[in-house]
Amino acid sequence: MELAWYALLGLFFAGYLVLGGYDYGVGLLLARRTDPARRRAALNAVGPFFLGNEVWLVAAVGILFGAFPVLEGELLAGSYPAVLGALVGVILVTVGVQLRSRPASGWARAGWDRVIVVGSLLAALGWGVVLAGLLQGVPRHLDGHVVGVTHLFTPFAAAAALALVALVAAHGATFLTLRLPAAEADRLRPLARRLVLTAAGAVGTAAVVGLSSDRVRVAAQRPAVGVLLAVGLVAALLVARTALGRRRDGVAFTATATALALPVLLVGATLWPYALVSTVDPAASLTVTEAAASAPTLRLLGWLAVPLLPALLGFQAMCLWIFRGRTEGRALVYW
Amino acid sequence: MDALLLARLQFAATASVHFLFVAVTLGLVTLLVGLQTAWLITGNPRFERLTRFWGQLYVINYVLGIATGIVMEFQFGLNWSGLSRYVGNVFGAPLAIETLVAFFLESTFLGMWIFGWHRLRRGVHLALLYGVALTAYASAFWILVANSWLQNPVGYEVRDGVAHLTDFSALLTNPALWMAFGHVVSAALLTGGMLMAAVSAWHLTRGTGDFDLFRTSLRIGVVTATLAIGLVQSFGFAQFGAVGAIQPTKFNGTGPDAEALVADWTARFGPGDYLPPVLANAGLGFMILIGFGLGLLWLILPLLWRDWIIRLRFPLWLLMIALPLPFVAVILGWIAREVGRQPWVAYGLLRVDQAVSPIDPWLMATSLIGFTLLLGGLAVTNWVLLARHAAAGAADPALGRPPTQPPADDSRTEPAFV
Ligand code: HDD
Ligand code: HEM
Ligand code: HEM
Repeated sequence: MELAWYALLGLFFAGYLVLGGYDYGVGLLLARRTDPARRRAALNAVGPFFLGNEVWLVAAVGILFGAFPVLEGELLAGSYPAVLGALVGVILVTVGVQLRSRPASGWARAGWDRVIVVGSLLAALGWGVVLAGLLQGVPRHLDGHVVGVTHLFTPFAAAAALALVALVAAHGATFLTLRLPAAEADRLRPLARRLVLTAAGAVGTAAVVGLSSDRVRVAAQRPAVGVLLAVGLVAALLVARTALGRRRDGVAFTATATALALPVLLVGATLWPYALVSTVDPAASLTVTEAAASAPTLRLLGWLAVPLLPALLGFQAMCLWIFRGRTEGRALVYW
Repeated sequence: MDALLLARLQFAATASVHFLFVAVTLGLVTLLVGLQTAWLITGNPRFERLTRFWGQLYVINYVLGIATGIVMEFQFGLNWSGLSRYVGNVFGAPLAIETLVAFFLESTFLGMWIFGWHRLRRGVHLALLYGVALTAYASAFWILVANSWLQNPVGYEVRDGVAHLTDFSALLTNPALWMAFGHVVSAALLTGGMLMAAVSAWHLTRGTGDFDLFRTSLRIGVVTATLAIGLVQSFGFAQFGAVGAIQPTKFNGTGPDAEALVADWTARFGPGDYLPPVLANAGLGFMILIGFGLGLLWLILPLLWRDWIIRLRFPLWLLMIALPLPFVAVILGWIAREVGRQPWVAYGLLRVDQAVSPIDPWLMATSLIGFTLLLGGLAVTNWVLLARHAAAGAADPALGRPPTQPPADDSRTEPAFV
């Protein structure tokens, strides 16, 4: 039962990184587009999906609270600055995208676009630090509290945060090659290939920094799984690069999407059976079972999830289906 | 500096901003459902224009509902980790249900609704709006289930110092829940109706054109607000009975029931100050005053006959002047409800000082100041944009603009090569 809920939590957070990831990637790319029409087109490529993407995060936190209350409190409070950063980023992107086209003046729109760039950067950096923080263990004491924030400021956390920025940028560019009109996609593809390669480099660097960190080595319960998944991540990026070279944008997007989902699996599988590993006292480490809500709560939520999940995923799939394809022809412009 | 005080201030600030926006969301979406349904049934283009104009304002307002809502959701874990540790098994369930049942679908539907004009069949497009409205009500319901549990914990037992769920149905029959739900929903309808009436009144007094259109929405707004104020008053007075019975320390903390309860708590939890601050009820009186003041809507309602409301002019001015009142009242009401349960976060079960996270006060202060400035700034920006779009009238809202039509609001060309 706990495992099923842990997997579901992972699914929703990974789903957020994949879907929110391209929002932030497109957001980051606004930094280089000086042409207002191109900026607007990029945002409208995200268009109908935007509101449904960010809500995966809301759902993940809901599951975290309902099914893993102890983990929720310790993880969020124990990664305070990183979560704050990510949260500010999420808000800036949410507000920026929805409001940027409401003023009519060009300078106001350009200003909002800068807000979106900053927000995307903060969100990617923040979640990168949170994931790295899990992987390198937290100073959880026997009384159950994680004390202090300095444990977050390590070279590994920095490398992981930068890697996530590179990943979302590559993912965003790949998304745009899939969504924008064909001519625009041709223009973008070389950039997407460069970004995918950069991301592979950044992920590789983070992996090396992680392997050389004592804390990560101690916290990892299954280092081999971790290394394997990191290799898989780099491989996915290389697949994306090749696919972009052959103008197979769908394949490339699937590959970068996989690359964004893998970090969540990596953290979960490497730490299993623990959810939080303590760096100060092994007895204070928190297993997934200990972190979970008690049986009646999980049972109640389980009865709810069985009919609900197909509906949730079904309506999201319906959204993808209705608005599939390139934004050519008669697409609505709203953002 | 005291981390507890800072955490409470932060919750109060973000919750208040959140509610200023979601009250409008909840009220307006109900009216939008009516407008778009009327358009589908009658085919009258006036209803299409009304749907687009009010839908545009609705969507702009929605932005801050999401932004502040996300901060609130994270705040439980960030600042109140004791809440998830001790009562998360029970309190977490309705919140998890809310995010999955309500928010997830609401946002998915809204995205499709915004971009679905001219693309989906009319019936499907309308069904999406019904979906948005239903899930918005569901979110208000489940959040109130959670809040009512904090007001009056039920359906649990404490084992090893942690609350465990024993009876979920008790959460749904919580005496703190249903009157509050009715009161909150009718307050939201009142707020939405007042907003519609006041904006229409502004256009009618200015003579900005579109007389028929704004006459229609004035009437809808006035009728909705008038019916809603009746409900607000009834559910409001009903709250005194329901809440007074389960929280003897809330409204007048000096009765015999309250004294017995305080004695019991002192015996179980040790000596302490178990009464809410004296000023907790001051806002309540002011809210009730506003409630009676808005009852005057019943005098304005008959003036809809033969458009006397427009011909006389001054009723229009009254409606505009009264617009801030529901907003003030909702905040006062919430502060009374939440401050009135002090010092408990879960009444009689968990004190606020046990629930607050052990965060360095400086960090907490940074977060408080940061979020207050950020959300406050965004709220003001959002209101400015709302006011501009409200004033611009229904000539050419961006929402639902046909893809082939160039935007009239934009002097420069920015076609976005669709
Ligand atoms: C438009 C806004 C509005 C107006 C005009 C009123 N209220 Fe209200 N009131 C609210 C909006 C509100 C609210 C914000 O929605 C609250 C906060 C929590 C709740 O359940 O509703 C609230 C709370 C609240 C409470 C506190 C419940 C608790 O502590 O748990 C009481 C006793 C009343 N109201 C009673 C009234 C009465 C007797 C009114 C007038 C005749 C009245 N309210 C007008
Ligand atoms: C949206 C309308 C709401 C407003 C304006 C509001 C207002 C407030 C205020 C003023 C406080 C501080 C009270 C004090 O410290 O004296 C507070 C605290 C709190 N509220 Fe609310 N509240 C709202 C809704 C909710 C809901 C729906 C929940 C639960 C689901 C909730 C949970 C809490 C918690 C956990 C605290 C912190 C603990 C405490 O101080 O009691 N609030 N809120
Ligand atoms: C009685 C009080 C509340 C009511 C009636 C209410 C209602 C709503 C509604 C209708 C929305 C939809 C968005 C919008 O309208 O702009 C919303 C958004 C949201 N609310 Fe609240 N809310 C309340 C309190 C809270 C509290 C205490 C939390 C904290 C858990 C919360 C968390 C959220 C979140 C996370 C969102 C964003 C969902 C999204 O991304 O679409 N709300 N709320």
